[in-house]
Amino acid sequence: MNILQTLILGLILGGVYALMASGLTLLFGVMRIVNLAHGVFMLLAAYGAFFLFTELGIDPFASLIVTMPLMFLFGVVVHRLLFPRLEGSDRYSEMTVLLTFGMALVLEGLLGFFFTGIFRSTSPAYATEAFLIGDLIIPKGQLYGSIASVVLLSGLGIFLGYTKIGHAIQATSQNRTAAQTVGVNVDRISTIAFGVGMALAGAAGSLLSYLFTFFPGQHWQWLAILLSLIVLGGLGSIRGAIVGALLLAVLAGFVSNAFGATWSTMTFYLALFAILLIRPQGLFGEKEAV
Amino acid sequence: MLELAEVSTGYDGGPNILEGLSLEIEKGSAYCMIGPNGAGKSTVLKLVGGILAPRTGSVRFEGAEVGGLRPDQLLQRGICLVPQDPSLFTKMTVRRNLTMGAYLETDRSVIRKRLDVVFEMFPILAEKEQQSAGTLSGGQQQILLLGRALMMKPTLMMIDEPSLGLAPQAADQIFEVIEDLKTTGITLLLVEQSVERGLAVADWAFVLDLGQKRFEGPSDQIMSDPRIRELYMGKAPTIE
Repeated sequence: MNILQTLILGLILGGVYALMASGLTLLFGVMRIVNLAHGVFMLLAAYGAFFLFTELGIDPFASLIVTMPLMFLFGVVVHRLLFPRLEGSDRYSEMTVLLTFGMALVLEGLLGFFFTGIFRSTSPAYATEAFLIGDLIIPKGQLYGSIASVVLLSGLGIFLGYTKIGHAIQATSQNRTAAQTVGVNVDRISTIAFGVGMALAGAAGSLLSYLFTFFPGQHWQWLAILLSLIVLGGLGSIRGAIVGALLLAVLAGFVSNAFGATWSTMTFYLALFAILLIRPQGLFGEKEAV
Repeated sequence: MLELAEVSTGYDGGPNILEGLSLEIEKGSAYCMIGPNGAGKSTVLKLVGGILAPRTGSVRFEGAEVGGLRPDQLLQRGICLVPQDPSLFTKMTVRRNLTMGAYLETDRSVIRKRLDVVFEMFPILAEKEQQSAGTLSGGQQQILLLGRALMMKPTLMMIDEPSLGLAPQAADQIFEVIEDLKTTGITLLLVEQSVERGLAVADWAFVLDLGQKRFEGPSDQIMSDPRIRELYMGKAPTIE
């Protein structure tokens, strides 16, 4: 496979990874929590898309209009019910890690109960078709997924950059106390950000449903991959998550070509260790004051 | 305008920093709080600004109880806090930082008018309008903080240690700005490490120690009081 082919495949897959990682990094930016349940939330949406596809014949892209708002509402309810109990704790960050870890285990169990542990996937026609441009093979499913990711991430960019709530989310992300002093209700904004993060996980889940096979316990693997992307980009930076996703997806493609598919997944984990050793704040992150 | 009655409060589960503090502030004047480190000066501002809630006692603003309200609820009543911690949105432009100051205002034409007033008052902010706030000098960042506070159109502006970490020249500039603020009719409540600077700009001063008010009076009298000069300004009383 030539270099251009690998590069293009890496970039279009990276676009989908960027969408997957954006919700995770948004939540870290606004609330300073690492949401260990992000992977299982994606799978929850993927199973939702799977259900809609197999039972009602709804295309995974059309399922976005169901999974995104439902996941947003689910996020708002989860945040309102569970997170205020941790407010004021000296160990807020650690407690949120435990809380989201617990949520991940519970949801994994529920998914296993309802859908069993077998591999699932939706199978729209475009998932197995490709465009042929000269010698280049562009899988339709991945290309469409990448285009959808670009559209959704652009929407996220417009929302954050040009709306009042978006400005408040950015302000809370940059300086929570300062946001309070200018009148931002940071609790409300955190709830909205949590909902937006979950809606992004919902969108990612719909795309994941036809791009990959999935089973309930797989969310840990996704979480590890997404963590490596956002650590590379700089925790809390959406721009960083996009760049990190594109870089690592392309790198994983080249590693797969050179050493085999097994090493492709290892690329993310090795990259995570390397980033933490060389530049722990990531590409777009700032060093923590000591 | 503002009345604290027998207020006690502290941080998280820790001991009380303020112990039965009472003080009153009248509209339109400038006040300064002085006292040694740990006296509770910044805690008073956080309490009135809604960062801390009173454990006992009451905080009344323009006749209504406001103790325990959130900062955004207090802002709607005209109380704004310019905190001592770095509190700019450093990745946003100067202009965006200022418009964030008018976050609770929904009328865009009002926001534009306030922006014009701030730019006229602080031309340096107009000059650096599109620059990222994180790239400004310490003095310019402090001016931006004051400009952002003005965008909130407060009736009571509380400023915590405005000259902290600034070079003397930049600190002088900040106090010129605070003098200008006095002319706008906004009531000012200031905490300042440089006691002489703080007293020079204020009409009235409170002396706090161990979470309680020890003295209060016109700032020129406080400034010349030999006991206070000795205790809080590190100067021996002069023989007259």
